[in-house]
Amino acid sequence: MSQELIAAMRQSVVDGDPDRAAELAVQALAEGMDPLVAIEEGYVPGLRDVGEQFSCGEMYLPEMMLAARAMQKAVAVLEPEMAKTAQQRQVTGRVVIGTVKGDIHEIGKSLVAMMLSADGFEVHDLGVDVAPERFVAKAQEVGADIVAVSALLTTTMTGQRTVIDALADAGLRPGVKVLVGGAPVTRAWADQIGADGYGEDAVGAVRVARGLVGA
Amino acid sequence: MRFEHPFLAEDDRLRIHRESLRILAEVGVRFLGQRALPILERHGARVDRETGIARIPGELVDVALRTAPSSFVLGARNPAFDHPLPSGVTSYAIDGTASFMTDFETGERRYGVKRDIEDALRVFQQVDLGVMAWAPTCASDAPSQTRPLHEFVAMAAACSKHGQHEIYRVDQVPYLEAALVAIMGTEADVRARHAYSLIYCPVAPLTHDGEMLDAYLDLGRLDLPVMIMPMPVAGSTGPASLFANIAVANAEALSSIVVFQLAHPGRPLIYSSATGTVDFRTGGYLGGTPEMGIMSAALTTMGRSYGLPSSSAGCTSDAREPGAQAVFEKLVTTLPPVAAGADIVIGFGEIEGDQNLVLEQILVDAEIARACGRLVDGVDVAPDRELFDDIVEVGPGGNFLAQRSTRIAARSSEFLVPSLSPRAAHEAWMELGRPSIYSNARERVSAILAGPFADPLPDATAGELERILAAADRELA
Repeated sequence: MSQELIAAMRQSVVDGDPDRAAELAVQALAEGMDPLVAIEEGYVPGLRDVGEQFSCGEMYLPEMMLAARAMQKAVAVLEPEMAKTAQQRQVTGRVVIGTVKGDIHEIGKSLVAMMLSADGFEVHDLGVDVAPERFVAKAQEVGADIVAVSALLTTTMTGQRTVIDALADAGLRPGVKVLVGGAPVTRAWADQIGADGYGEDAVGAVRVARGLVGA
Repeated sequence: MRFEHPFLAEDDRLRIHRESLRILAEVGVRFLGQRALPILERHGARVDRETGIARIPGELVDVALRTAPSSFVLGARNPAFDHPLPSGVTSYAIDGTASFMTDFETGERRYGVKRDIEDALRVFQQVDLGVMAWAPTCASDAPSQTRPLHEFVAMAAACSKHGQHEIYRVDQVPYLEAALVAIMGTEADVRARHAYSLIYCPVAPLTHDGEMLDAYLDLGRLDLPVMIMPMPVAGSTGPASLFANIAVANAEALSSIVVFQLAHPGRPLIYSSATGTVDFRTGGYLGGTPEMGIMSAALTTMGRSYGLPSSSAGCTSDAREPGAQAVFEKLVTTLPPVAAGADIVIGFGEIEGDQNLVLEQILVDAEIARACGRLVDGVDVAPDRELFDDIVEVGPGGNFLAQRSTRIAARSSEFLVPSLSPRAAHEAWMELGRPSIYSNARERVSAILAGPFADPLPDATAGELERILAAADRELA
């Protein structure tokens, strides 16, 4: 039964079915399965399957995102149980992400957040129009490895430098890495402001993030 | 017979309208900022102050569509370039606000600067089909807090056609007003002539940027026309079907029309759009697709059905460099809105999803636009086109080259003569150095930029504009 349940968990992620994934997580707990086992042996392999198929062009971004969503919903069920026994799942890294102050464009940031989550990162999405001090506070709170800062306008991308300065003033640099991106952002700009990485698109951002945490 | 194609049957147009009304009434639209929600609430919209979402009833849309003018004249700094809307033929704007520029001399892709705005608009000034200037790239050499003001002034200085641009913040309003009065002479002239307008893009899906909308509402006191340009991308910031994405774009447009008309009934508006599709592999924006062309045409049809001057994005391409991909994508995205009867298509000069300005592309795009216009003009079926007497005279065999009617046709608009596409025979073409549409465009750009500045602002006006910008830079730091 347990192996069937594990297989079903894996499949729920491959199918991108968040409701089914959550349902199976509840069932796993009811049957006394260790929540960490459920994640590591059930859901994570499903995400890995999807990632491999995406890499070779057999699956598309919407399928990756639905798979990530299924994973998130399952983890949301399982993590409170893990907290009771002080268990922590292995994550690729911890990321705080947001769009800079004065900019309300969301899509690029959300895409990167989802892709990082699908790749096993723990992602804390602050949304849009985020003041530098909120990036700092969240990074401190969660022990972030990476702060990812998005901007869509040439007039707001200067906010990325402001976030880097705020992190430095808070004593979080160089330990916390900064990854920047957005339509007007270039590698040269990233270098100019002292960012540690630049993602030209969501797929590239994940590659860079993995490099920044040594994964 | 003119070829026109609305891309939507009447029933489908009505369905989309109803869907948009349903979106506005049931889903609602988020309005950030201070000014819009009180206006909407006062007029009967259901407003949730906590979420900033207003649910707008169909009756308010009807009121707004009744007060929005069905025609007005796009004025210009030089009245010779005044342009009536609607106009019966499709005219063009230069594309706007690219972050990057391909340097004309070095080919380097870099951030745009004020000089690039000036150069591009000097080229656009010479394009017959061009009626609307826009700052085509960013002025990255201007301070970020006043950058759009610098861009606005650079545009107005370099081109005496109608000018459209944007500002982002309420505190930029007084400086823009002062600049427009400096250019046009008096506040009354700014209002009456409509020589400058604003472009307004809601943030898809279904969200209005607070500061920008507040600023544009403030500028209603100068009756600055607004081009409303929703931009949902089917599959990412818009739903994943063309029909639904069109409905969302239309809903965003209608919500904008409602707010602008409730605040200032009768304020001139242009219904426009700049949709796209998502790249399902990367999540990126695609603007050079047949789907984009279709949505542009359908939304043009919606705007026309509301009795509004109508426009759409077109001439868009995802190509990374000028060339064959750019040309075919620009044709695919321009012909549909032209066939649907767009008054203005936006716009010339950019590639990479409107993020990279290329000077020679302005002229290549004008060539594409002329061809689209010719296609839509179709077959002239007037009786004098039968030429039966010529057919009798020439008879079986022979040729028509020396007929009087052929001599007339050689100089008529029935046969389009391209400005840039080389037509020499092969060896002659080789001897000419193998010119291409792009090399000919580059030659023409060089000639324009080497020539005198057309229609400059008077020195006193230019000086006053510099003072206004300097004050803005100091005071908005």
